[in-house]
Amino acid sequence: MDNAEMQRFLQQEQQKAMMSEMVGKLTSVCWDKCITGTPGSKFSSSESTCLTNCAQRFLDMSLLIAKRFEAQ
Amino acid sequence: MDSFSSPSLPSSGSSPNPEVVMEQIKAQLAQAYAQEFLETVGTKCFDKCVTKPGSSLSGSESSCISRCVDRYIEATGIVSRALFSSSPQR
Repeated sequence: MDNAEMQRFLQQEQQKAMMSEMVGKLTSVCWDKCITGTPGSKFSSSESTCLTNCAQRFLDMSLLIAKRFEAQ
Repeated sequence: MDSFSSPSLPSSGSSPNPEVVMEQIKAQLAQAYAQEFLETVGTKCFDKCVTKPGSSLSGSESSCISRCVDRYIEATGIVSRALFSSSPQR
């Protein structure tokens, strides 16, 4: 077993952890924004659209903020 | 001393089996993910479903909680797809 293999494994897991953290955080934020009533047995189409839009707009915003600071 | 001699904690000097270490890291991460998820779902669904805590969980509170948990899992999938699916607009 070489060091490189372990390194790659750790990098992979780190990336997975970052992705999972992001999904968890965005789900929490977008749940609060989009699911305003008591949860039903099925999402309405407006609820699921809202969740999708919310997640994608959050990404857009993150990029915008990053750019904003790069510009300084 | 015996309680510390499990294979998970190799004594200094002997090099740990990397396969075992990787498996352990994976298992620990999986547990951490699950625990965090449970905690979040609990908080969210308590907010939604138990608005006025009584002397016990009512039937309607319980069914709200079970729907809420299902929806939260679904929401996680929707968000995940929105972030990582190749098509930018869906």
